[in-house]
Amino acid sequence: MVIALGVSGVATYQLAPAPAEETARWREIAWPFPRDGWPSGRAFRCDGACAGTELYLRAKRGFCSCDRGVADDDEVDRVADIDLISPRFAAVAPGEEVGIGAMRGRARRYDLDRPDHTRHAALGIAVSRGCDLFVAAAQGSGGTGVMQRAVLVFLQTPEMKTWVTAALDGN
Amino acid sequence: MFRWVPLAIGLAVSACSIAAQAQQEQTIGAPPEASNMKLVGVSDLQARSAYQPTIHHQGDRWIAYIGHHGGTDDVPAPVNPMTGQAEPNGTSIVDVTDPAKPKYLRHLPGQEGKYESGGAQMVRVCDGKSLPKGDSNAVYMLRTFGGQAHEIWNVSDPASPVLITRIDGLKDTHKSWWECDTGIAFLVSGAPDWRTRRMTQVYDLSDPAHPQKIRDFGLPGQEPGSTGPVPTELHGPISTGPNGNRVFFGYGTNKGGILQIVDRDKLLNGPKEPTPDNLRFPEISRLPMSAFNGAHTTFPMLDMPVAEFAEDKDGKTRDIVMIVDEAILNECGEARQMVWFADVTTETRPMMISSYTVPEASGQFCQRGGRFGSHSANESMAPVYYKKMAFIAFFNAGVRALDIRDPYHPKEVGYFIPSITSATDKRCIPIEGGQRCKVAIQTNNVETDDRGYVYIVDRANTGLHILELTGSARAVAGLPKT
Repeated sequence: MVIALGVSGVATYQLAPAPAEETARWREIAWPFPRDGWPSGRAFRCDGACAGTELYLRAKRGFCSCDRGVADDDEVDRVADIDLISPRFAAVAPGEEVGIGAMRGRARRYDLDRPDHTRHAALGIAVSRGCDLFVAAAQGSGGTGVMQRAVLVFLQTPEMKTWVTAALDGN
Repeated sequence: MFRWVPLAIGLAVSACSIAAQAQQEQTIGAPPEASNMKLVGVSDLQARSAYQPTIHHQGDRWIAYIGHHGGTDDVPAPVNPMTGQAEPNGTSIVDVTDPAKPKYLRHLPGQEGKYESGGAQMVRVCDGKSLPKGDSNAVYMLRTFGGQAHEIWNVSDPASPVLITRIDGLKDTHKSWWECDTGIAFLVSGAPDWRTRRMTQVYDLSDPAHPQKIRDFGLPGQEPGSTGPVPTELHGPISTGPNGNRVFFGYGTNKGGILQIVDRDKLLNGPKEPTPDNLRFPEISRLPMSAFNGAHTTFPMLDMPVAEFAEDKDGKTRDIVMIVDEAILNECGEARQMVWFADVTTETRPMMISSYTVPEASGQFCQRGGRFGSHSANESMAPVYYKKMAFIAFFNAGVRALDIRDPYHPKEVGYFIPSITSATDKRCIPIEGGQRCKVAIQTNNVETDDRGYVYIVDRANTGLHILELTGSARAVAGLPKT
């Protein structure tokens, strides 16, 4: 992976493509949502393989069943920040188990009715570490399969794993 | 010389920092910190993490029923010295007739599990003679069994409880309410098909041996089949019974709190299918709180005379709800969780009127270890303190006694922070490369009895402390001088 700083000072993360896959490049953008009960996270926009996808990441400390973790799809509905993008969303299918580093949880795909009434696909991911959650919400006009693969690869990069750990530590 | 001065200053600053740190943290053997509150008696509760205490006047005895969280990583199932067996945390039953000499009667094991996942956190008690269809010789204890079930036990002999009923198959439970004069119970449950971990199941438990379900209830968006955002989950309700005809529901823990005022009659007798319209039908109003605060306890104090308003043509009395948030992160890792007072006299326009928090600097509580902030209040409506004083469990700041006679200006008049013991468990926060742990009192819950004793229990395994008011705080409650 190559990290380059753009002229605006925000980082661009270019992922080495898997064989026969187009490169996904994530460019950090400003957190686009108003203040709520959780501290703001980080937001990224994808160019390349998942062009147009936006990704929103943040830690939610003390928001998880400490023993069970993210046990079911309802938990993803509740915590994954999809409602920040739009209050009108519906899951399109049962979720699936995912992992980010040593953390385990679930991902679920949604159909999103945006404020401008355009329909987008969205993805919610929630994984747990002890009593804490790390959540990711992504939206875009492309397929959620491509979106999910690109997001999970991005979150497995050493830089992102380091940041996720720091965020869950409260730093 | 120039090389030595900075070093000397550095050493002095370092030494001061260490000394300040030492002062902030509690040490075994140090006396309790107190003002206008005095320790009367102690029970170690077998070093089990404690949640709800309920004190019941049972014949000529006073019995404390104390719910426990699950065990810890280090000790998942503490040994009960009365049986010699390792038992998952459940319910402690303690005779507190003589509060100076509490007598531990029985530990009733709960669900296996650790922390919030096991134990039997909640407990309420009703006499059979007050329940419409109860056995008049029985005393019934309603408790949770981990997140899995609600149970009713006959505790007429508190040392030998007998299981009567179990309502099983839930995904979580919590701080339920039981009306002893009607038997109606508002059980905080997790119905498997609902989208939230905790919602309300209303039951008729007037005949504890034969529970009759009335309905499921929650906020629209939590019901089965709904889509979109899931509203904040329930923490606990408090009902004013058929006469008051209101149920005050608190949603949230440390974020996105909601006080919901509900018409009890419409809730019990209205349409019961959990559709959004039917869920909205009994609701009178909501008071959404800041995203920074949740509603653990919503304690109603209706028709309170407020001295400041005595000469006013209107509004001399006010309907007040005290809302207590719950802190959940150690060492101030979140926005401050505290106490709020809402004026709900005009029910459809509830308004927050005042707040209370322990000043952090008064004890450097963010550095002491564990949680700092409020958790819960006493819920007894016995005349000795009702509408006069409130007691707030404030984790590492112990219990706080508030003069609430003027709820627009609540005032602290006493406090008690117990000493830690060898049983007090550590509380840790993540730091780079590992964890840093401190040991501190974690006063979790508080209750009072009709005699005026104050019972506080500790989440960090320090047990039960029975307290009484002293000095000027006694006058606030109208208690005689000691």
